[in-house]
Amino acid sequence: MAENILVIGGGPAGLHAAIELAELGVNVSLVERDTFFGGNPKKFKYKYLFPDLQPADNVIGELVKRAESNNNIKKYLSANIESFKEDGKKFNAVIKSSAGSETKTFDSVIVATGFEHFDPAKDSKYSYQLFDDVIDIKDLERMMGEGNFTRPSNGKPPKNVAIILCVGSRDRHVGNQYCSRVCCTVSVKQAIELREHFPETEVYIFYMDIRTYGFYEDLYWEAMEEHDVQIVKGRVAEITSGPDNTVICKGEDTLLRGPFEIPFDMVVLASGMEGGPQSPEMAEKLGIELDEHGFLKQANVTLSPFKSNKDGIFLAGACTGPKAIADAIVEGGAAAMKAYIYAKKNS
Amino acid sequence: MAEEHNKNSERPVAEKGEHIIARHLVDDDAIKEEKNLVIDGVDVSGRWNTFIVTRVDSEFDRSFFDEIQKTVVGSRINRCWQCGMCTASCTVTPLYRRFNPRAFIYMMQLGNLKQLKKYIDVAWRCVGCYKCSQRCPKQVNPAEMMEALALLIKRYFPEEIKSKHQLKIDEEVKAIYEGMILGHGRLDLANLHTSAMRKMGKTTELLSDKDERGAIFKMMKDGRALSVLRLGKPHKWHKSKDAIDNYLKHTGTLEQEGMI
Repeated sequence: MAENILVIGGGPAGLHAAIELAELGVNVSLVERDTFFGGNPKKFKYKYLFPDLQPADNVIGELVKRAESNNNIKKYLSANIESFKEDGKKFNAVIKSSAGSETKTFDSVIVATGFEHFDPAKDSKYSYQLFDDVIDIKDLERMMGEGNFTRPSNGKPPKNVAIILCVGSRDRHVGNQYCSRVCCTVSVKQAIELREHFPETEVYIFYMDIRTYGFYEDLYWEAMEEHDVQIVKGRVAEITSGPDNTVICKGEDTLLRGPFEIPFDMVVLASGMEGGPQSPEMAEKLGIELDEHGFLKQANVTLSPFKSNKDGIFLAGACTGPKAIADAIVEGGAAAMKAYIYAKKNS
Repeated sequence: MAEEHNKNSERPVAEKGEHIIARHLVDDDAIKEEKNLVIDGVDVSGRWNTFIVTRVDSEFDRSFFDEIQKTVVGSRINRCWQCGMCTASCTVTPLYRRFNPRAFIYMMQLGNLKQLKKYIDVAWRCVGCYKCSQRCPKQVNPAEMMEALALLIKRYFPEEIKSKHQLKIDEEVKAIYEGMILGHGRLDLANLHTSAMRKMGKTTELLSDKDERGAIFKMMKDGRALSVLRLGKPHKWHKSKDAIDNYLKHTGTLEQEGMI
C-alpha cells in the first residue's frame, strides 16, 4: 500500500518535496493557501535569481510544471488545514479548500510554509508608503518582473538610487535580531540590474556589513568592479523629503565619522525575511514549537534540521529561518527523504 | 609617540570662536564670525554672531570618481571596499597617523573634497614601497592611487599647495622623475622626495624637521628603508624600455595631456 504524506506549502521547498515523494510513488497531498503554486517568488514576480541571474521562471515555473503534471500529487489551492490530530503514529487532517472539506489520514507531514517579506511600514524611520520613491526589495522585484521599471513618482529614470541594507533585520528596535541572509546578495543583484537598465544612474549601497556568503561574493565583486556600484558604510536612520522631488537619506558615514544627508531620486529598502503569521498558526495547529525569532523550531539545528520537535512532522525551507531559494529546494528534498523513511517504517 | 604629531591635539585654542564649548572639536575653517551682523533688523554683533558651518555631507560627487577612474594610476578606484589592508601595511601611517590611504581612497570615491582638503599637508607622503599594492585583496593598487590623489590635489587645490608648502614641480624635478622611470622602470618616491627637497634648497630641512628625521631614523632601524630601496627593476624591463624609447622617438616627451 502506498504511503500518504501531507505537504503544507507550495513554494520552492514544498513543491520540491512533493515532486520527490510523488516520484517515489507516494500519494502526496499538497496544500497551498494562495490561488497558485510557487510561493513568494511567484507572488512577487521575481524576475532573475542570484547568483547566475537566470530567469526565475526556469526554476519556479519548472517546479510548478513538474508538480502539476504529476498524478501522484493531489493539489489543494486556496486551501488550509482546518483541523489536525495525531492518531497513534499517524495524523488525521481536515483540508479545507474551495472544493469543500476533506478528511485524510497521513503517515507523515512536511511543513514548508515559508516566510513573509518584512513590511518596512512597520519601521517608520524609513518613510515607506509615505514617499512614492521609497520602495523595497520585493517592490523592485515586482517592478522588474512586470517590466515596469522606472521611478515611481514620475516614471522617469532615477539620477541616483540608494539601496539600504538590513531593513527589518539585525535591529532590536523592530524585534528581529537575526540576519536575513539573502538581502545583501539580492541587493547587489538589483544594483547590477539597475545599472544595466539605467547606465546613467548612480547606485549606492548603504551597509553595516555585506554578507554575500560563499560564491555569492562573485556578484558583489561584479557589482563594484564591472558596474561601479558604490558602497557607503553606515545605516540610514531617517528618510525625509528633499528638494526637487527627492528623498533625503540621513545617516552617519562610519568610515569618515561624519553625518550625511544625501538627496536621492529613489530608495530601495532591503527588507528582510520574517516567519510571518502563518508560522505561529501552524505551530499551534500541529502542536510543534516556534523559536525565539518567530520561525518554526528545528529539533536540532545541526544534526536534524529537517525535524520538528514532534515525530513524523518535518520542516523544509524558509519556515525554519531566512534562506535562499536554492537552499529551500535542497531542504525540500532532504525533508522528503526523512518523511518517506518515517512513513515507510510506520505504515 | 605618534600621537604627539597628531595635529588635533597640538592645536592651541584660537581666539576665533573662543566662546564655543569644546572648541577643540571644531575646525578653524568651520567657524564664521562677522564684525557687524544684522539679521531681520536685529543687530547681533558681539558673541552672538559666531556660527559653525555644518559638518553634514550633503552630496556624493561622482565626477571625481569618473575623473580618477580615467587615469592609469586611478583606474581601479571602483574596486576598493575599505578593508584597510593598505593602511595596515603602510610604511608611512605609523609615523604620520593622519596619512590614511584607505580613507583617502574613500574620499575620492565619494568626491568628498571637503574632507580631502584637510589632509593636503600629509597626502603626498607616500614613499612608494608598494606594500599596500602587494597586500590589497582587491588589487586596487593603493600606492598608485596615492599618485591619483596627488594629481587631484594639484588640480583642485593649487593655491593651498603653493601657499602652504611651496611645492613646485620644476623642470629639474621632472627630469629626475623621468630619469627614474626610464632608467629603472619604477618610481622611487622617497628618492624623488629628497631630490625635490634638495632642488628647492631645503636639504637642511630634510634633517632638521623632527618628524622627518625621526621617520628616516626609524625606517633605517627597522628595515623598512631597505625594503623601499630594494625594489629593483620590473620583470623583463628591457622590453618595456625598448617600447618607451620607441614612444619617445615619436613624441619627444613622456607627458600626455590628462594622463599619468
